[in-house]
Amino acid sequence: MKRLINLVVNGESHEVAVSPEQTLLEVLREELGLTGTKKGCNQGECGACTVLVDGKPVSSCLVLAVSVNGKSVSTIEGLSQDGRLHPLQEAFVKYGAIQCGFCTPGMLLAAKYLLENRPKPSEQEIKEAINGNICRCTGYVKIVEAISAVAQGAAL
Amino acid sequence: MRLRDCKEVLEMSEFNIIGKRVPQKDAVEKSTGAAQYVTDLKLPGMLYGKILRSPYPHASILCIDTTRAKRLPGVKSVITFSDTPQIKFGPLVDDWYILAKDKVRFIGEEVAAVAAVDEDTAREAIELIRVEYEELPAVFTPGEAIQPGAPIINPEYPNNVVSHFKVERGDVEQAFREADLVIGDEFYANQVYQAYMESMACIAQSDGRGHLTLWLPSQVPSKTRMSYAKALGIQPRDIRVIRPHVGGGFGAKMEYDADLICALLATNTGRPVKIVNTRMEDFEAGNPRVPMSFDLRLAFKKDGTLLAKDLKALAGNGGRTVYGPAIMSTACYRIDSLYRIPNLRADGRLVYTNTVPTACFRGFGNAQATFALESLLDMAAHELGIEPAELRIKNSFNNGDTSPHGWFISTSGLADTIEQATQAAGWNDKKRNKTTRRGIGLACTNHVSGNRGFYRPFDGSSAILRVGESGQAVLIQGEAEIGQGQNTVYAMLAAEAAGLRYEDVTVAQVDTLIGPFGLGSFASRGTVLGGQAVIAAGKDAKRKLLAEASSMFNIPVEKLDIREGVVCRLPEQTKMATVAEVASHYMFRQGGCPLTGEGVYVPDTVVPDPVTKIGNISPVYCFATHIAEVEVDTETGQVKVLNYFASHDVGKILNPVGLEGQVEGGVVQGLGWALMEDMVTVNGKVQNPTFLDYRIPGVRDIGKIHVSFVETNDPKGPYGAKGIGEPALNPVTAAVANAIYDAVGVRIKSLPITPEKILAALEHTCML
Repeated sequence: MKRLINLVVNGESHEVAVSPEQTLLEVLREELGLTGTKKGCNQGECGACTVLVDGKPVSSCLVLAVSVNGKSVSTIEGLSQDGRLHPLQEAFVKYGAIQCGFCTPGMLLAAKYLLENRPKPSEQEIKEAINGNICRCTGYVKIVEAISAVAQGAAL
Repeated sequence: MRLRDCKEVLEMSEFNIIGKRVPQKDAVEKSTGAAQYVTDLKLPGMLYGKILRSPYPHASILCIDTTRAKRLPGVKSVITFSDTPQIKFGPLVDDWYILAKDKVRFIGEEVAAVAAVDEDTAREAIELIRVEYEELPAVFTPGEAIQPGAPIINPEYPNNVVSHFKVERGDVEQAFREADLVIGDEFYANQVYQAYMESMACIAQSDGRGHLTLWLPSQVPSKTRMSYAKALGIQPRDIRVIRPHVGGGFGAKMEYDADLICALLATNTGRPVKIVNTRMEDFEAGNPRVPMSFDLRLAFKKDGTLLAKDLKALAGNGGRTVYGPAIMSTACYRIDSLYRIPNLRADGRLVYTNTVPTACFRGFGNAQATFALESLLDMAAHELGIEPAELRIKNSFNNGDTSPHGWFISTSGLADTIEQATQAAGWNDKKRNKTTRRGIGLACTNHVSGNRGFYRPFDGSSAILRVGESGQAVLIQGEAEIGQGQNTVYAMLAAEAAGLRYEDVTVAQVDTLIGPFGLGSFASRGTVLGGQAVIAAGKDAKRKLLAEASSMFNIPVEKLDIREGVVCRLPEQTKMATVAEVASHYMFRQGGCPLTGEGVYVPDTVVPDPVTKIGNISPVYCFATHIAEVEVDTETGQVKVLNYFASHDVGKILNPVGLEGQVEGGVVQGLGWALMEDMVTVNGKVQNPTFLDYRIPGVRDIGKIHVSFVETNDPKGPYGAKGIGEPALNPVTAAVANAIYDAVGVRIKSLPITPEKILAALEHTCML
């Protein structure tokens, strides 16, 4: 039995009919066509599906869509504004923090949450913030560099 | 030989774009979520496929009942062996069927498949299929599988040995008799999983007239068509492969049975079908690394001169053959181009086991052998009383040497990488002033940039550079970007060679209907083979642009040049026109046909002779030295990698940011293998098929990584460059093992080096 819920995704309101077992990840990808949020393991272990719900990072594969009714969801598609990349996106591009790119959306949202709540994080704090996000390509070096650069206000 | 860091290269560069820190071509679309992977694609009317996999490691299939599954509403097709073309095939050995015929050989083998309107229905239908099995005696390790009387997995190979590789040079027995030091030991490189972030996926569509389109995250988009055509009983021309963005591969994403199942379901239903592995399926039935045990002996003179190497290898193939034979033979002899050893013997066997089939993973057998050789060299250095770095320099290959197997090493930066890494690490100081429980270890590696033996019909690459009326250029080629930054380097090389602006060059996604036959991403070949073809295409485009400009302005070609998208007159460098003006002039004069540069690169590599094994498989050879600095907690056995230094002979730095990324990624993947990763398999069943139980390195598991480069400017490399993908991982496990020995005096000879193994060894040492 499907239920109507209201999701505010990247500032835009959507009315979606969802079944009780559907996850937020499935609704974003399959119902709303927002495929920037990736399915890496579907078990909450890799971080590729990280989105922000009411500003906080969650693994969207572990969140039931019905539980997000009325809440605000930020996905990677909403990170750039008016065609301008977010400073984190610019830094990820410039510093070579993106290889295959499959972990990138989740990584960027985890970093966004960090900087919004801790504008000047230490390297340790950066590492803690993205510890739940696995990357198999980069060895993390350039991801940490990119986040540090934004935190330190480096010209990009 | 020149040693430069990236900054110096930039200052000295005679190039416009080569050597600059260039972000990946597709990084922006990946950063916004716009980049589409196979898993993201949805076609109108698309169905979803699921595979019923064997729960038994070895069993006869008595009967399969699909009646209930077929009756489930929403199910559009259910297939078993009898619905397939029933043709034996395989990338190297014809021991595959698309669906199991009368028996299964590993847990996860494909038995039946379903296409349905959604994934839930497909999953439910799979559960409704009844299969009656009769379990057969099974065998799980290569050691057991070669015992007389062991259960036979493939009747065509009565002793379970899939392939046997033997090679001998010089007089090994005599060298061992005359040696001052003979040292030998056993080593084990375990089975690990590539853990790319996008699991295996496929979308297939049939036009109802026998033509298939496959969307694949493939490393070998053109080559897969050859084995897939055979399996389906059609011609390669009937298969079109489109490769969208790929979420990592590391060797795994080559031929994969689910692609063929998807193709059959699409043909049966007349609708597009998508199959995506769950992460658990990917762990249990992916293409993990070939596990290998080694019995290795080395002979030395007392001054450290290497006299002989004698290697026995036993490798696990799993239940059917992917690339195991080539990987096992690589482990037997690729490493013989690292040090000058006149007397060599290798005897390797690859053995069927009732476990998941094993395949390519960054390093392709050489990574396994490097763990054994570089560990044993360290042990030998100790015995000989020779400094480990010195011992390696003493035996290293030099420019212009030919290995005993015929491999011509045009340039070798091995000794320079040893020097650069030891300097960066403060090696001598740290060796002299040892701190308790801290240690430092070094390991070297060699690798290829291409593998002439991998695909017999040809070696080389080709590219087409099409310059349109606005000066925009599209590079069309068949090699496979899988996240490593290859397209970025290709765009740089094309721009440099043609005289275009980098931002004007776009690299087309691979589509086998349009592009050349590219062999793809394996053997660290993309930069060198594909790169040479791209340069050739760029030069051809430039030649045509200059000819056009010459006739436009009535100036001899020799008096014209193109740089950064501008045609100028020499020697005064006066601007004559933009490339756009010249290219549009060409196009409109030619009935709308764009100016097109064609580039072909056929290297002078030599296929190894099947009997003598003499050959020369790569145009250039790569070298590297890694140093790990670790701290070992003797209470818990935990190892912390404090610092890691990697120096690579890359021939020529093309894109520093891409190179660093490859090395950093390779090092961390290697650290995972060295210290954490293991596919724990009990009775053929993977016990830890999730990221929670199979831990790969997270950001907090790594220390500081220092990367540096040696430029040997190899005359056969594109602008002098060599490959980087695999050498970045090869030496990591041995560097870590050697550092742990230096720290606490225990030698761990089997991977991964877990705290349990260290504690057990420490306890043993204390008792002595």
